[in-house]
Amino acid sequence: MALNLFKSKETRAMIDRYSLIELIGIYLGIFLFLFFMLAPFIEGFLVSLKPLSQLFSTPYSFWPENGSFSAYVTMWESVPRFGRYIFNSLLISIVSTIIVLILVVPAAYAFARFQFKGMALVLGAFLAVSMFSGAVLLIPLFRLMRTLGLLNTYYAMIIPGAAFLIPAAIWLLRTYMMRIPIELNEAAYMDGASQFYTFRRVILPIARPGIMVVAIMTFIGAYAQQFIFALTFNSKTEFMPLPVGLFAYFGKQEVIWNELMAASFVGIAPAMVIIFFLQRYLVSGLTAGAVKQ
Amino acid sequence: MGQLSLKNVVKTFGDFEVVKRISLDVQEGEFVVFVGPSGCGKSTLLRMIAGLEHTTAGDILIDGNRVNDLPPVKRGIAMVFQSYALYPHMSVYENIAFPLRVERAPEKEIREKVEAAAAILHLDSRLDQKPGNLSGGQRQRVAIGRAIVRQPEIFLFDEPLSNLDAALRADMRIELTRLHKQLSTTMIYVTHDQVEAMTMADRIVVLHDGHIAQVGAPLALYHKPENTFVAGFIGNPRMNFLPVTVQSASDEGITVEFQGQSLTVAVDVPADRRAALAGTQVSLGIRPEHISLGAGNAVIKITPTVVEHLGQQTIGYAKLPDLEDNFCFVLPGTQMIMDDQSVNVSFATSDCHIFDSDGQAFERQIDLSAMTVPAPVLSE
Repeated sequence: MALNLFKSKETRAMIDRYSLIELIGIYLGIFLFLFFMLAPFIEGFLVSLKPLSQLFSTPYSFWPENGSFSAYVTMWESVPRFGRYIFNSLLISIVSTIIVLILVVPAAYAFARFQFKGMALVLGAFLAVSMFSGAVLLIPLFRLMRTLGLLNTYYAMIIPGAAFLIPAAIWLLRTYMMRIPIELNEAAYMDGASQFYTFRRVILPIARPGIMVVAIMTFIGAYAQQFIFALTFNSKTEFMPLPVGLFAYFGKQEVIWNELMAASFVGIAPAMVIIFFLQRYLVSGLTAGAVKQ
Repeated sequence: MGQLSLKNVVKTFGDFEVVKRISLDVQEGEFVVFVGPSGCGKSTLLRMIAGLEHTTAGDILIDGNRVNDLPPVKRGIAMVFQSYALYPHMSVYENIAFPLRVERAPEKEIREKVEAAAAILHLDSRLDQKPGNLSGGQRQRVAIGRAIVRQPEIFLFDEPLSNLDAALRADMRIELTRLHKQLSTTMIYVTHDQVEAMTMADRIVVLHDGHIAQVGAPLALYHKPENTFVAGFIGNPRMNFLPVTVQSASDEGITVEFQGQSLTVAVDVPADRRAALAGTQVSLGIRPEHISLGAGNAVIKITPTVVEHLGQQTIGYAKLPDLEDNFCFVLPGTQMIMDDQSVNVSFATSDCHIFDSDGQAFERQIDLSAMTVPAPVLSE
């Protein structure tokens, strides 16, 4: 019986019981949704396995015939600085994330705990800033970078990237910190702790899952948005992050699609590893037992 | 040391006056309970003593020193919060040790003090656990441990038992009384539960709308409430207030007319007020537990609309003419009375209270030291 694939009917809460038709409908819906989202990745992966000639054959075959992983080997020769690009990408994202966290954690705490004049205005301004995409401000930013002499350096890619990620991160972490009971601050104050001591010993450890969420979001954001800044503010090959490096290489003559796809997949692998690593710290229920809810 | 004085203390939030010129002296080693309904300002007053709220006006003195602008630690105060407010990421040991770590006490001293506190509170076997794994009562004990480890002069408790279930609350009540005996430190305890107030306090401070309605020993509040608020607040079910007309006032007390019966209640009436009193409306207060079946000084024929049989007592509610609230009576044991069947109940004039039209009591002519603990309050 199909239902036995899942939790046996008797142990399910009444509200979670579905008929066979309903279950089929639910999983069909899930499949369609996932396929729609993942189709580009699936196709990209399949392309990376195909020999280049097959890519332009008609009729186009979806499944690779005599597919191989050879593109994953040859791309290292096609893109000689491939390792360096990955390193640049990670460096830019990691440094951006660290800068954002250093600035955002105390700021979010201040916005969550203290009342001060103009707070609503500043928070509103943060929202407004995040409505601009970096692209709109490229020209003024370019002039600014040129005046500061930061063009063609890592700074040119890290600083604007971090700046655009701060507002959203503050909003996210502020919401998390507002959920930490104020009684913990009061209790620490009663115990003689200073604001800073309370922040360090009480608030920071409790806010860790929230900080991790912000770190992951910021890291992904920095990874995704570095292309536009790197393309505009940097022309030195040795500082290029992965997307720009690939773009520069494969844009020159003909596009070697299978190697490009292989490079893309290998390129995001380190980022995936880092995200999985950070995710382990996303433990929920850290505040359990703090106060009676 | 641990003597606290409040002098005309005021707290306002915007235009709203929460605490209105409260003056109070708390002696060293005393267990004082602030009690009152929600919004009476008791928690705000406690937080002002703690140093969590700014004092709008007036002085707070501890051992004769004005402490209005001192942080809690410098006041020598520790507080236990209603919600426990434990640090969830720290073990029980670290939670209790927290105030000592703030002080940068040596590790050896921390260990000794934490273990001593844990022994007092029976937390020895729990020291390595996180608060999330503890029961409500254990969490509350950890919060108390964190308060006692610093050996403050004054302990503040903000409704510490209100999150516990009934059985645990009774246990913790006894534990806290024992702890007070053991430490003999000044303790100020806020609650809205009059049973906690009656059982634990040396003195009760009844707060009403930001001012003190009455201060006194638990039994003094029960037997000699100074006004209708205290009379109605202390005692459960609450006192019945019957509108009566004064016939005369003398040294013996006030004689009132109640349902055609003439009752003389032994209260002190100042000589200059006696003449004006005759013919006026006053309230006759009688507690439900002082009403019995059959004959007495004053007899009322009532028809209870609801009768609750609890086994150890029988509680009835009846409608009386010209009385808005239900007339309530508590009879000991299981009484064979039914709702919607009329019955004669009575009370003794010696159990009565008289309140003037402003709700102020005439002092009863009773000897408090001769009073025994009335059963219904404790048996709850």
